[in-house]
Amino acid sequence: MWKYLLEKEFKQFFRDPGLPRMALMFPVLMMLVFPFAVSMEIRNINLVVADGSRSEESARLIEKCTASGYFRLVAQCDSPDEAMRLMDDNKADAIITIGPDFAEEVETGSGFPVGIKVNTVNGTRGSIGAQYLSSCIRMYLQDRNPSRDVPATPAAEISEKYYFNANMDYKLFMIPALIVIGITMITAFLPSLNIVSEKETGTIEQINVTPVSKSAFIICKMIPYWAIAFFVLTACLLIAWAVFGYACRGRLLWLYVYTTLDIIVMAGLGLLISNYSSNAQQAMFVIWFFAVIFMLMSGIFTPIASMPEWAQAITYFNPMRYYADAMRAVYLKGSTPADIWYDAAGLVAIGAVMVGWAIASYRKTAV
Amino acid sequence: MEGNVIEIRNLTKKFGDFTAVDNISFDVWKGEIFGFLGANGAGKTTAMRILCGLSRPTSGGGTVSGYDINTEQEKIKRHIGYMSQKFSLYPDLTVRENIRLFGGIYGLRDREIREKTDAMLGMLEMMSEKDKFAGALPLGWKQKLAFSIALIHEPEIIFLDEPTGGVDPETRRRFWEMIYDTAEKGVTVFVTTHYMDEAEYCDRVSVMVDGKIAAMNSPSGLKSEYHAGNMDEVFRIIAGRAAREE
Repeated sequence: MWKYLLEKEFKQFFRDPGLPRMALMFPVLMMLVFPFAVSMEIRNINLVVADGSRSEESARLIEKCTASGYFRLVAQCDSPDEAMRLMDDNKADAIITIGPDFAEEVETGSGFPVGIKVNTVNGTRGSIGAQYLSSCIRMYLQDRNPSRDVPATPAAEISEKYYFNANMDYKLFMIPALIVIGITMITAFLPSLNIVSEKETGTIEQINVTPVSKSAFIICKMIPYWAIAFFVLTACLLIAWAVFGYACRGRLLWLYVYTTLDIIVMAGLGLLISNYSSNAQQAMFVIWFFAVIFMLMSGIFTPIASMPEWAQAITYFNPMRYYADAMRAVYLKGSTPADIWYDAAGLVAIGAVMVGWAIASYRKTAV
Repeated sequence: MEGNVIEIRNLTKKFGDFTAVDNISFDVWKGEIFGFLGANGAGKTTAMRILCGLSRPTSGGGTVSGYDINTEQEKIKRHIGYMSQKFSLYPDLTVRENIRLFGGIYGLRDREIREKTDAMLGMLEMMSEKDKFAGALPLGWKQKLAFSIALIHEPEIIFLDEPTGGVDPETRRRFWEMIYDTAEKGVTVFVTTHYMDEAEYCDRVSVMVDGKIAAMNSPSGLKSEYHAGNMDEVFRIIAGRAAREE
């Protein structure tokens, strides 16, 4: 019986006009396009300088900022008011104002008349811009006075070293996360749409009057998607290695183990969605609801630690949180299940609830 | 239960406050063509779904093919065939693949499936269509194919839910020839229909009104009982008493 059902599902999959092509395009897009698109690195911050000093010293400071590569010098104004107008017109993201006595005060060490204003309409851009500017200023002061203790310079020098992603390469950080998103889409949402479409055409009714057990029917439906999920995972890892030269730091086996756990959770979720939806429109809406919550509350784009506590509490119910954390830990740090047992525990707990609920709510015989 | 393949006693199905099937009891004899008539919303599809093990009764019980409709639905499913008004073969599988799938589901072996496929396609005169997608066939052919596939595991009873809906009179006539052939082989045919000329072809018919069986007899018996010239008049007299709106 299994053989015939599997044969049917695979035939239908490969006959679908879109699905096989999508399965091929997905890893390629995910690995070659998305890492660039989702980059959180802020570049090209529009900088306006209000230089009241017009001295050699102030020119050196400005040069220090523009040479960093993060800023684009939009204009040099004479007065702070003029600079402010540019910010009001949204032409400036950051303003650096230099007082008229800048050169003298720096020379004598009596002060440091420099101000920073940032446009925080886009909060991230603003705060990162301010950080960049102050570190540029710090570098200027250091260059100028390597020995002397200059006012406004931090007393203790902070040296940063980034572990696991030494070059702060955002693409490397996003690759395991993008795999997570892709696998979730394929294993939860595609099978649920497939089941709902059988409901719509009425073929599921024909199956329900046969002796096919519900578990056999559902598992046979999911197996092709599981195969595709592993294909996509493998393809993504290969592309990341071939194109960017990234390799998984941990054992590849653990990536597959955690993916398997996630697939089980997603199978339960997909079945649940299809059980409670009678048409594709309903299913699509529920899928969007879950997809958005999963992604935004997973720590993939924004760190969970910086969410408010009540939001952090919600993330504990999000399977993608555990899966994304595990994939990043294995891929970037080389963690083993002994290090990230809690991710496995989270997936197993959520999976048990989802699969149990899904099986209980799926009935061949209606009440 | 000598000769009875279906025995239903006090069957009731409620959806909330609505009583779709209201305390019906009837028997179906082995090998007969049993017509199950009723206006839309009279409760006949609900009753039929219970008999097929697709739905559970609220109260009452009975047996289909000797198995309890409350507890042995999965056993019932092995012994019945079912074809619904909606075309329910897979449109993206070919004719042969559909036959193979349903044969396999009922536990037939590859060799048996091949033999049955050839026999079936020969009988339906669809040999040249065997590699066409089922979805591309004309409706009448689809219905005949679906009927044949519902019989692939040689069930004792076949349930047909408005099998001839939407097909032309000539195809309907040929479809009924297939039903006769099937009944002659000893298979019990349980059929719902809207066409009163088809009701004439049945051995016995029951007419459901407002969830109850209002009349049950052979077509000729009903005609004399209601002093009507044909089944159409009989149906209008009985169904005209319905209190329930569609």
